[in-house]
Amino acid sequence: MNKPSNPNGRAPGTPPVLQLRGIGKFFPGVIANKDVDLDVWPGEIHALLGENGAGKSTLMNVVTGIYQPEEGEIILDGYGQTFTSPQEAIRAGIGMVHQHFKLVEAFTVAENIHLGWDEAPRIASPAVMEARTQEISERFGFPVRPDARVCDLSAGEQQRVEILRVLARKARLLIMDEPTAVLTPEETRELFRALRAFRAQGNAVIIISHKLDEVMEISDRVSILRGGRKIGTFNTADCNPSMLAATMVGRDIVRRDMRTRPEGAAPIAPEPIMQLRHVSVRDDRGVETLRDVSLDLHGGEILGIAGVAGNGQRELTHVLTGLMARTSGEILLDGALVDRADPALFAAAGVGHIPEDRLRSALAPSLSITANMALREYAQPPIGRHGLYDATAAGALAHDIAGLAQVNIPDFAMPIRNLSGGNQQRLVARREIRIASRVLVAAYPARGLDIGAIATMLGYLTDLRDQGVAVVFISEDLEDLLNVSDRIGVMFHGRLMSVIPAAGADIATIGMLMGGREPADIQAGAAQ
Amino acid sequence: MTVSGPRGRLLTTRRGLLGMAGAAGSGLLLPRHATAADQPAWRRPLAESDAVIAFGHTGPITDGGWSMVHDRGVQAVRRAFPRLRTIYVESVPYSADATRIFRQFVAEGAQMVFATSEYGDFIKDVSDRAPDVAFMECDGNNVTGNLGWYYVAHWYASYIIGIAAGLMTRTGKLGFLGSFPIPSVYASANATLLGAQSVNPSITMQAITINAWFDPQAATQAATALADNGCDFLCGIMDEPAYLRVAVQRGLKAAMWNTGMLNYGPEAYVSSVSLDFNDFYVSQVRDLLAGTWQPQGRFLTLGHGVDRDAWGPSVPESVARQADDMRTRILAGYVPFTGPIHDNHGQLRVPAGVTPSDLDIYHSDWAVAGVSGLE
Amino acid sequence: MATRAFQRLPTAPAGRILMLRLVAIILSLFIIACVLALSGHSPLMLAELIIHSTLGSRFGLEDLALFMCPLLLTGAAVTVCGTIGLWNIGAEGQFYAGAIAATGVALGVHGSALTVLPLMTIAGIVGGMAWITVPTLARAYAGVNEIITTLLLNFIASLLTYYLTTGPWRDRISGAQVSTQRISVSIPEMWGIVHWGFPVAIVIVIGLALVLSRTRWGYEIRIGGANPEAARYAGIPVRLRIISVMLLSGGLAGLAGMFEVAGTVHRLQGGMANNFGYLGIVVAVLARGSCLNVIPAALLMALILDSGIVMQTQQLSASVILAITGLILFMIAIGDELAHYRPLARTTPQGTAAGSKVS
Repeated sequence: MNKPSNPNGRAPGTPPVLQLRGIGKFFPGVIANKDVDLDVWPGEIHALLGENGAGKSTLMNVVTGIYQPEEGEIILDGYGQTFTSPQEAIRAGIGMVHQHFKLVEAFTVAENIHLGWDEAPRIASPAVMEARTQEISERFGFPVRPDARVCDLSAGEQQRVEILRVLARKARLLIMDEPTAVLTPEETRELFRALRAFRAQGNAVIIISHKLDEVMEISDRVSILRGGRKIGTFNTADCNPSMLAATMVGRDIVRRDMRTRPEGAAPIAPEPIMQLRHVSVRDDRGVETLRDVSLDLHGGEILGIAGVAGNGQRELTHVLTGLMARTSGEILLDGALVDRADPALFAAAGVGHIPEDRLRSALAPSLSITANMALREYAQPPIGRHGLYDATAAGALAHDIAGLAQVNIPDFAMPIRNLSGGNQQRLVARREIRIASRVLVAAYPARGLDIGAIATMLGYLTDLRDQGVAVVFISEDLEDLLNVSDRIGVMFHGRLMSVIPAAGADIATIGMLMGGREPADIQAGAAQ
Repeated sequence: MTVSGPRGRLLTTRRGLLGMAGAAGSGLLLPRHATAADQPAWRRPLAESDAVIAFGHTGPITDGGWSMVHDRGVQAVRRAFPRLRTIYVESVPYSADATRIFRQFVAEGAQMVFATSEYGDFIKDVSDRAPDVAFMECDGNNVTGNLGWYYVAHWYASYIIGIAAGLMTRTGKLGFLGSFPIPSVYASANATLLGAQSVNPSITMQAITINAWFDPQAATQAATALADNGCDFLCGIMDEPAYLRVAVQRGLKAAMWNTGMLNYGPEAYVSSVSLDFNDFYVSQVRDLLAGTWQPQGRFLTLGHGVDRDAWGPSVPESVARQADDMRTRILAGYVPFTGPIHDNHGQLRVPAGVTPSDLDIYHSDWAVAGVSGLE
Repeated sequence: MATRAFQRLPTAPAGRILMLRLVAIILSLFIIACVLALSGHSPLMLAELIIHSTLGSRFGLEDLALFMCPLLLTGAAVTVCGTIGLWNIGAEGQFYAGAIAATGVALGVHGSALTVLPLMTIAGIVGGMAWITVPTLARAYAGVNEIITTLLLNFIASLLTYYLTTGPWRDRISGAQVSTQRISVSIPEMWGIVHWGFPVAIVIVIGLALVLSRTRWGYEIRIGGANPEAARYAGIPVRLRIISVMLLSGGLAGLAGMFEVAGTVHRLQGGMANNFGYLGIVVAVLARGSCLNVIPAALLMALILDSGIVMQTQQLSASVILAITGLILFMIAIGDELAHYRPLARTTPQGTAAGSKVS
C-alpha cells in the first residue's frame, strides 16, 4: 500500500476529494474489482491505467453511482457516501465524461447543456440558454459555440460540450474515460491545457487511459489496475513508459516453455506462407492505423504479437484475413501477390481467423448454433452441394465442433447467444482451427477464459503449429505470448516496432517497445 | 354503430339479426345456381316482414351529398315499409372488398341489393352467382337476369344551370370539379357548358378531376386552382360541398350537385342539381314485394327525381326567368342537345339535326369544344 | 440493490408466444364484446354471424382464401426482405407495378389463356422487381434507407394506376370508372370463387421457406440478416445478396398484383391494391420472420379483415372496424412482448457466489 503523497503541498488535514476503501464489485463469474483503495486529492490529475478488462470502467461506474459496490466504502471530503443513482453522484460533485458521448445530436449545444439540469430556467428562450452557455463556457475555459447543433461538431467540440455539461453541474471531480481516443493531436493539447486550468482551481480529475505517453504528460499520479485489483499508485514523475507498460501487463511471469516441439512435429518451413511488405492502412478519417508493416509467416511457427490494445492489432488482423484493404504495400500468399481483400479468398486458401470481438464479427447471435458452426464450410460438401444447404450435414458438423471444443449443448437449434461467452469462444476457435490448414490468425483467443481453458486454447495453437500451420497469436498477456511464441513482434501506434525471438526476450525490452521506445535506443542503452 | 345514424336502427338491427340467424340455420350457401326450370325467388311475392333490403354506399351517409341523398331514400323505404329490414354499408371501396360486401349482403339473406354507385364487375360477379337476389346498380351499365341499373338524367338540370352560369359569368370561364373522367362527369360538364354557350358561345370551361368522389381537401385545392386561373363560376360533380366554401371565400358563384346546399354559402350559391331517390327506391321495393320487379336500366328524369334546386338569393330575377323558361320547355319534351356538336379536339360528334338519346349521353366519353382538362 | 421481479429474455419460445397471442386475442374480443354490448349490439349474435360468414360456411371459406391469396404473397415479400434485415414497406407499390405490367400484357397480347397467363405472370413479377430496383440499388450501393424509398414509391405507383385507368387505358367499352376494360383471360377458378392463385401462393410460401432453410443462398441471406459483419467475415457478398433478396421481394409483391388482376378483379383498377402491401407488413410481423408462419398469419389477418366486412353489414362504421382491427393487433403486439419476460426468482447476492468461486 502506497502512502498517499501530497503533491501540491496543501494544508495538513485537508481530506482527499475522493477516497475508496476496499472496493469490491463482482459479476457472475467475474471479479471486476477487489480490494481497491484509491485517494484523489484536490488539485491533482490522477491517471487510472490498465489493460482492457482490468476493471477501470467498473471502478468509475461504482464511483459515479451507476453500480453499487458489494464491498468497501466511498468517502467524499472525509464523509462516507453511498450513491444509488448517477444523479446523486452528480449532486455530490462527481461528473463523468464517457468515451461515447451522451449528447442529443439534433439539439444545439445550449440545449444539451441545459437538458436535465436542475438549475435550467423553467421557461427559457434559445437566446437565454445560449447566453448562459456562453457564460459557462468562458468561466471554465472550454470554448464552444452555443447555437451550433451537436451533429455538426467535431469529436473534440462534442467532448467539450460533455465536459461543460458536467462542470455546469458544479463538479469538483471530473472523471474522463479515454478522453483522447477520438481527438486529434491539436485537440488533445487543448484538452490538456483546459484540464490543467481546472486543476489549478483546486479541482480533481481522474483520467482513464492506456496511452502511456499521455499519462506521462498530463497526470500527477498514476494508479495501475490489473485483474480488477490495484497494483499500486505512483508519482508520475518517478515513472517511465516502459516501467508503466510492464507493470500494467506483466503479472508475475511463470515461464513455461511450450515452444519445444514433440517428436514428429512439422519443422518451421523455410519458405513463408504469407508475407506482408510495407503494408499501411488508413481509416476513414485518414489516420494511418497500420504503418509500414513487413512480416513473414512461416508454417510450423507461432508469431506472437504484443502491444497495448489499440495500437494497430485489429488492423493487422484484418489485413491478414482479407477483411480490410491495405492502402499501400503488398501481401503475398505462397509467393503470389494478393490484390483483392476478400475474406472468402483467404478462407479458401486456408486462413482461419479467431477475431477479437467474436459475438460481433464471427457469429450471428440470433441464429442457431448449427447455422453458426456452418459459417466457414457451408459452401463445400458435405453441407453445400449444387447450391443447396444440407441442414443435416451442418448439424453433424456442429456436433463435431462442439465435441472437440468440449462444449455441452442441449439443443443445437437454439440461438447461439444463449450460450455463455466462454463457450461461444471455444466453438469459434474450433470452427476456425478446422479451416486453418495454412494460417491461423488468433486475436486475443484467451481473453475472458479461466486458467484451465486458457491452457487448452494455447494447446490448440501449439497443436496447429506442430501440424505445420503458421499461427499469429495476438495477446495482451506477456506470459502466454512468451510461453508459446517462437518470435514476438511488438506493436506501437500502428508500427511493428521489432520482431524478436521469444526464447531470449526479456520483459523489460518488450515493455519498452510497447511504450514506444525505438529498438535502436534500447540497444544503445543496453550497450552502455 | 355510428353515432350520427338514424334513430330506430337499433331495433331494426336486432330484429334483423334474429332473422339472419334463422337464415344461417337454414343452410344458406353461395354460390347457388338457379336451374332453368327454377324461377328466381324475386319473381314470387315476398312478405314485408321477411324482406331484407341492402344498400352499399360509396361514401359516408353523413357526406352531405350523394350518399346522404341515397340514405334519405333508404329512410323513405323504411317509412313506407316499416316491417322490412334494411342494412347498409358506408364507404364501400372500389376494390375486391366491394365484392365481399355484396356477397355478405346475400349471405345475410338480402333479397334486394342496391349499389348506390357504379361497382361494375364487383357487383356483377356477385349477382351472377346469386340469381335469387335482385340487384340494382346506380350509374351501372349491365342488365342481366337479375341485375339492373338506374341513374339520374342529370344533364337537363345541368343545362338549365349552365344557362344561368352563362348569364352570370364575367370572365367567361367556368370551373368544373369532377372525380374521374367517366361518362357521368363528361355528361355533366358537357351539358353545363352547352347551356352556358347557348347564351354566350365564347364561354369556356376548365375541368379538374381529383380521383375521388369524397375528398374535401383535394376539392378545395382544385377549386382554389380554378379560381386562380380566372374561373368565376364553379360547378361539378362531387359528393360533398367543399368547393362552395372556396367560392364564398373568393367571391365567386357556384352551382352544386346532389342536393340543395344554400346553407353552406348563401352568397355564392346559385342552384344545385338536386336529386331525390325516395320514390324510386320505394317503388323498386314495392315491385319486389309484389313479385313484379324486373331487371332493367332506368333513368330518373327531370322533375321525377332530378331537378334544379330553388335559385339562390344572388341570382338575378332575369337570369332565373330565362333559365326556367328552358326548364319549362324541357319538361314539355324539348331536348336541347341537338347537333352539330364538336368535341374539344374539333371532331364532329353529333351531326347537325341529330339529337342524342339519354343512353347516348349516358355513355359520353368525350368533352364538348371549349372544355379543357378533360380529354 | 433494487431487485426486479421480471427478466427480459432476448428470445421467446414459440409456444409461449402462441399462448400469449391467444390470450391477447381472447382478451381483445372480450373488450370488443363489452363495447358492442354497451352500444346496443348483441355480441353473441355478431359472433355467430361472423363465424358463420368466415370459417363456418363454404361461402366464408371461399372469401377467406381469396383474402389470403394476396396477403400470402405480400407477407412473404416483406418476410423475405426481413430475413436479410431490410424492410420492404413498398409492397403496395410493387403490387400496383405488377398489376400494371400484367394488365399491359393482357391488353396488348391477344391469345389463349395458355399463352397470355404465363406472360402476365412474368410481367407481374418483372413489374414488381422493376419497382423496387431503384430502392435496391440505392440501398446496396449508397446505403440509402430502403424504408423511405420503398414507401414513397407506393404513392407514385398508386397515382400511376389512377392515371392509366382514367387516361390511356380507361375502359372505353363499359365506361367503368377508374378502370381498364375487363381483361379477356383469367386464372381458372378452383373452388367456387377461389382461383388457382391461392394454392400457387401457398406453394410459393412453402417453397420460399425451403429455399431459405435449404439452400446456400438462403443460408447466406440468413447470416447477412442476423449479422452483416459476420457475413462479411465469412466472405459472403452481402451487397449482391441484398440486391437479389430485394428483387425477389418486389417480384413476390408484383405477382400478388398479377394474381389480383387475373384472378379476382379482372381489371386494373385505381385503389385495387386495397392496402394488401401494407397489410403484408402486418402479416410479416405476425409471422415473426418465418416464411412458414406467413400462412397462419395471413389466415389470421384474413379472418380479421373478413370479420370487419361482416360487422360493416351490421351497421358498424368503417372507422369502428378499423379501431377494432387495431385493438386486436395492438393486443397481439403486447402479447409478443410479454412473451419475452419471465418471472425472476430472488437470487442470492451475486457477490458472495462469485467471490467464493474465484477465491
